[in-house]
Amino acid sequence: MTRRLAVLATPLLLTLLTPALALGAEEGSGAGDAFKPQNEFKLEPWVNLPGPFDINRAVFYLFIATVLTIGAFMYVAKRMQARPNRVQTVVELAYTLMRDNIAGGNMDRRMAAKWFPFIAALFLFIWFSNMIGYIPLPTNTEHKVDIAGLEIPSFAIYAATANLSVPLVLTLMVWIAYHVEGFRAKGVVGFYKGLVPAGVEGPAKGPIFLIELISDFVRIVSLSVRLFANILAGHLLILFMGGGLVVLLNLGFAGSLVLGLVTFPIAAGFFLFEIGLVATLQAFIFSTLTAIYLGGAVAEDH
Amino acid sequence: MFSTITGLVLAFQEAGGGEGGGEEESSTFLVTPDVGLMLWTILAFTAALFVLRKYAFPPIVEALDKRQRAIEESIDTAASTKAEADELLAEYRERLKEARVQAEEIVSRARTAGQATEKEAAAAGQAKREELLEQARKDIQAETARAIGEIRSEVANLTVAATEKVTRKTLTAEDQKRLVEEALSELDFTALSGGRNN
Repeated sequence: MTRRLAVLATPLLLTLLTPALALGAEEGSGAGDAFKPQNEFKLEPWVNLPGPFDINRAVFYLFIATVLTIGAFMYVAKRMQARPNRVQTVVELAYTLMRDNIAGGNMDRRMAAKWFPFIAALFLFIWFSNMIGYIPLPTNTEHKVDIAGLEIPSFAIYAATANLSVPLVLTLMVWIAYHVEGFRAKGVVGFYKGLVPAGVEGPAKGPIFLIELISDFVRIVSLSVRLFANILAGHLLILFMGGGLVVLLNLGFAGSLVLGLVTFPIAAGFFLFEIGLVATLQAFIFSTLTAIYLGGAVAEDH
Repeated sequence: MFSTITGLVLAFQEAGGGEGGGEEESSTFLVTPDVGLMLWTILAFTAALFVLRKYAFPPIVEALDKRQRAIEESIDTAASTKAEADELLAEYRERLKEARVQAEEIVSRARTAGQATEKEAAAAGQAKREELLEQARKDIQAETARAIGEIRSEVANLTVAATEKVTRKTLTAEDQKRLVEEALSELDFTALSGGRNN
């Protein structure tokens, strides 16, 4: 148990050190610029590639998430046994959760079988993206730490899903997917007719249809922004509580000490809350809503 | 469609930026979709989806299904074994019950037979005793009759001898005999047999 706590505390301490290090670096360079918390999320191109394919911090995180998603599941898939060990049990639990609850619970059998890989991949990809977002990695190129002549980017926490682009493009895939399924099942006209809930009759149909149509488009925003904003907000809270406030308010030595002592446990609490609940919950919500949208698009009664 | 999304995003961005005031320019990158990142996301996600679907999920499904089948089979086997055992148990119980009934029957039959035999034996004993008694009685009667006859003749002879001595005269044997017989017939000998042959 103490070992586990130590493992949890290490990234936390590193997180707490980040703003201090950043501040130190800033003051050391003599730039005198005010600390801008939002710049923790700024994307600077690391490798320039032709077209829009520049590799930056977010792309780096996407790579890690992809490699981890594939790696973890390939590792387990190659070692499936009749009598599972602990890792396999956890993976199987995740698998059955995705198959029976997320996909199976919201779609009919045929749709669930067809779309399970997509929904499962979404869940895992988002989950790994969220989770690695809480591991401090030396990726903050805005602030560099000089260690023995080497300019090392300072450690920071960051998540690919804290960029709107990532959830947005995943949402667009979902949105297109369920429209295609809906059109295929009911035809274009049938699908849009189905937007009006059963039981709405007469002249009410017009405005209701309009509202439902708008809500259909708003799903793009709600689905993507829910994930993006949750992860971003979590990171911002950890950032502010874990030293950001101390740096910004600049209350002098005593004031900073008191503020730091007060915000430190809050940061720890937020960190545990994010890693223990929000990261998984948001991945679960995103994939469950995907399943609901896909299921609803082909269902007879909307 | 895409322009609509961008429009919505931009609207969101403006709403968010409004609060920031002067910081608007420096923080809009948070909500501006980045085409490069979007393309990278598609690539990364598609790669993950492809590999998971083609190489990772099938072995997991197979293993899970296999275990599911194994579990179902063992449940079925257990159920059938239990049914068999239950059947066997029921059969044994039935048999035991039958055996008990039979045993009871045998015992009761034996008891009846025993009683019958006892009764028979008692009856036979009774009959034998009666027979023996009867025989004894007959013997006694016969003996009594014989004894009376003997006594009678002995009395007659004695009487003749006594009379002869008294009278010094010998009656002819025939007279003598006749007289005694006449006298004797007047006597009652029943008292000698104890009144039992009445």
